[in-house]
Amino acid sequence: MGYQQNDFDFLDSSRKTDKEQIREALTYWADTWRRLKKNKMAIAGLIGVILISLFALFGPSFTDYEFAEQHTDFANTPLRVEVYEISTDLYVYLTPAYRMIVVEPDGTFLYRLDQSGFDFANKQFHFDYEGEDVMVDYSYKLLDELADENIDYSITFRGVEYKVPYKVTSNKSYPLGSDNVGRDVLTRIMYGARISLEVALFAALFSLVIGVTYGAIAGMAGSWLDNLMMRIVDIIDSIPLLLYVILIMVIIDNKGLGTIILTLGLFYWVGMARLVRGQVLSLKEQEYVLAARMLGVSQPVIIWRHLIPNAMGPILVALTMMIPTAVFTESFLSFIGLGISAPLASLGTLCNDALDAIQTYPFQLLAPALMIALMMLAFNFLGDGLRSALDPRLRKG
Amino acid sequence: MLTILLIATVTFFMMHAIPGGPFSRERPLPDEIIAALNEKYHLNDPILKQYFDYMVGLATFNLGPSFRRTGFEVEELILLGFPISAKIGLMAIIIIILVGIPVGIVSALRQNKPADYFVMFIATLGVTIPSFVVAALFIYIFAGVLQWVDAFGLERPSSYIGPVLALVGYSLAFVSRLTRSSMLEVMRQDYIRTARANGLSRFKVIYKHALKNALIPVVTYLGPMVAAILTGSFVVEKVFTIPGIGKYFVQSVNDRDYTMIIGSTVFFAVLYVIMVLLVDVAYSLIDPRIRLGKKSE
Amino acid sequence: MSNTILDVKNLRTTFYTHMGEVQAVRGISFEVNQGDVLGIVGESGSGKSVTAMSIMGLVDEPGRVSGGSILFMGQELTKLSDAEMNEYRGKEISMIFQDPMTSLNPVYTIGNQLIEVIRRHTDLDKDQAHARAIELLQMVGIPEPEIRIKNYPHQFSGGMRQRAMIAMAISCSPKILIADEPTTALDVTIQAQILDLMVRLKNQLHSSIILITHDLGVVSEVCNKVNVMYGGMLMEKASVFELFDSPQHPYTLGLLKSIPRDVTGERKRLVPIEGTPPDLLKPPSGCPFSPRCPYAMGICVREAAPLYTLSDTHSASCWLHHKGAPVVEGFVQVEEESVHE
Repeated sequence: MGYQQNDFDFLDSSRKTDKEQIREALTYWADTWRRLKKNKMAIAGLIGVILISLFALFGPSFTDYEFAEQHTDFANTPLRVEVYEISTDLYVYLTPAYRMIVVEPDGTFLYRLDQSGFDFANKQFHFDYEGEDVMVDYSYKLLDELADENIDYSITFRGVEYKVPYKVTSNKSYPLGSDNVGRDVLTRIMYGARISLEVALFAALFSLVIGVTYGAIAGMAGSWLDNLMMRIVDIIDSIPLLLYVILIMVIIDNKGLGTIILTLGLFYWVGMARLVRGQVLSLKEQEYVLAARMLGVSQPVIIWRHLIPNAMGPILVALTMMIPTAVFTESFLSFIGLGISAPLASLGTLCNDALDAIQTYPFQLLAPALMIALMMLAFNFLGDGLRSALDPRLRKG
Repeated sequence: MLTILLIATVTFFMMHAIPGGPFSRERPLPDEIIAALNEKYHLNDPILKQYFDYMVGLATFNLGPSFRRTGFEVEELILLGFPISAKIGLMAIIIIILVGIPVGIVSALRQNKPADYFVMFIATLGVTIPSFVVAALFIYIFAGVLQWVDAFGLERPSSYIGPVLALVGYSLAFVSRLTRSSMLEVMRQDYIRTARANGLSRFKVIYKHALKNALIPVVTYLGPMVAAILTGSFVVEKVFTIPGIGKYFVQSVNDRDYTMIIGSTVFFAVLYVIMVLLVDVAYSLIDPRIRLGKKSE
Repeated sequence: MSNTILDVKNLRTTFYTHMGEVQAVRGISFEVNQGDVLGIVGESGSGKSVTAMSIMGLVDEPGRVSGGSILFMGQELTKLSDAEMNEYRGKEISMIFQDPMTSLNPVYTIGNQLIEVIRRHTDLDKDQAHARAIELLQMVGIPEPEIRIKNYPHQFSGGMRQRAMIAMAISCSPKILIADEPTTALDVTIQAQILDLMVRLKNQLHSSIILITHDLGVVSEVCNKVNVMYGGMLMEKASVFELFDSPQHPYTLGLLKSIPRDVTGERKRLVPIEGTPPDLLKPPSGCPFSPRCPYAMGICVREAAPLYTLSDTHSASCWLHHKGAPVVEGFVQVEEESVHE
């Protein structure tokens, strides 16, 4: 190997001191945000939460219906409708329950025709259109000799039989169909999502307030009070909570929003209290708390200004995780008939209402069910992401 | 034991705190009928006597007549529904343990490989999607579209698939996630390194040294799991119209059948406490440190 | 001389992380003879533990031995499969770890774990293995071994657990016992006992010890040879006497200056080594110590020095030994280079 001229000269100190890498100084939250951004699942969750909130908040202003608005004439319409042109400028649609609706050419519902007769022997329905008879023959599905004709029914008007729809189109009046009293399923899901979110958010906030207060007091007080308070928490923890939520709901027997928020909040603060107490216990040993105490800062101010802000990360994670729990519990209660009831409707209520007709109109159940699943997924992903972004073990590494 | 007593007491007094008593309905009943009913159900007795009578009844498993299902005693209804619910619940628990734990282990051993990602994706769905959604989807797809199974009842063996699946969902997903993370944690421990440094085979390291430690948190979850299955049964039995105790309970809640509510709640609570006790026993069998803790108390 | 049991040549161990390759061990060579107590000294992150794990074949994903050879009694270990390696681990080469509190499985009794190892590597039946386990516990100085064998690790104190670990490690009379900071987690009073025990057992069983430590005091007490590692490379290897008497590498010199030595009675100022160990993700191109070295020269930052042989038992990797380098007091210069890289 060849040596260079000044290879064996000592280096002066300026050349050899290793440049200490100066890492960008990031605040706690900026650092958290940076970590969160890297987590695809968490970002998907965040976007999901934002979209669902927008959907629930602003969606209803874009639909033509109020959530409780009933059009019994248009009950139980599906997602797709077959439009028959039975005369020039006369378009009709036959619902699965054999109701005849006059529609626009694009499928928008106009009004329902009265049924004028029912011929059981020949499997025929008759409807009255301005004095003229519209006949529906539904024997195709039932008679063996006609079974190979792949249609369910035919419509006869002014002597002409129509077997093939003019067109099959999406339901223009009710994008996601209508329910058993002719309410718009889409609008109901929007409102349902709004109510589920409201309940979850307020229940979570409510339990947050109780939990943080309780936990902070127990943590700061220490000694026997702390012991007593934590023993109480242990006892509450040892019983199956959902049973007691059910009992309380039965007793209060008022299926309003407030009741369910209160009940959920009353029972789900325990985890939060435990968490805050633990945080307070470890934080109050920190030097800056001691310094504040030496300066004569009062106890509540120390809790409020020093302890809570520093415990904010874990609290936020717990809050995010509590929302899906509350969504679940609320929909569960509504589903077994204990939660929100008419005229209000949460997603769980919608599922419950649609359960009886699951075989005939599965979509009325699937739509709100999927909405619940999406909400739970979005919040869980976000919560998981936040937790790992705030995890101090990962922060250092 | 104390917990059971506490639960029974709290439940009893909670139910008696209802304003207007159990017979106030939307349509008021004539006064004399209410009086007769109150007489029949001993509601005119002083509250302490009622409480005492109830507690005695509880100890002898005599939970009194059902308010709404005339002619039925509460314990009869419980005994009627429980075997059906227990059968499904037991099947669910067995599946959770036999499937959840192995899946979690395999997932942990294939960490960050496609199989692991797949399992964890499914498990995340399982943890987040409520059981009635699973049940509804199941009925829609397998009973509705494909017509493979009956949607309701339990007449055929295949009818069990749906309810058990819906019941298993959350806990199965949770157990496999828990097993996975616990296994990963344990595999990083020093004693695993020791076992490997002693030339033990991979099989022994995993199934003797790692598994037993990894199961400790899983065993702790078994208590809450029973609770989850219990409440899950309310929903599942409602959706699949299974005449189990969960369906009776939901019905009694909707009918405000108070003796039935109290009876079932206490029954559930007792069941839960017993399961938690069993879990404690299992726990101490696995973890010797717990055993010592108990002895020194 | 004495027969070589372990011959490590140009060993490289690399971790292929998603952030890049981490070269934890970058071409080191040394040998262990029968009866040796070889100390491997270095700061945390210098690659000493990874060296030990490489010998044991226990380098975990994403790391692996990426070059060089490890010859144990003539057998190349780096080529063996994991299952084949299991025949050596715990039998021919065994290892004890730093933290005895966590190195024993908490859910099995001491006896269970000890007997498991014995039966893994011998043909003894259950009763014989049990008897042997009691004998081993006796050997490592655990009182009432018949009772203690039924205990769980949490019923043992730290020192007793480390004794149990040693019992496990020597259960099959290994040729080499690798001890990774065996006394760091123990009380000072226990430390000496454990070291003493290890050396005594080594002599009894005619084996050798590789002692990994950052404590030069421990090295001076029990070792006969020392390897000094820094940044994944060997800086200096020497007999204990040579190392303490005339260190031939600025890093070793720095280490010696930074430990308190009140035994001599002199009141000397402790001199810390300025700077921090190198980032092995982006190792310096030259000598890893050059950024912190008070004697760094132009060539040091460009190229790592070869291992200069200074005596039969003493060599050092530093350009100061090159005949062209400025003369520094205490450092010898040699004519020929023995290039190991």
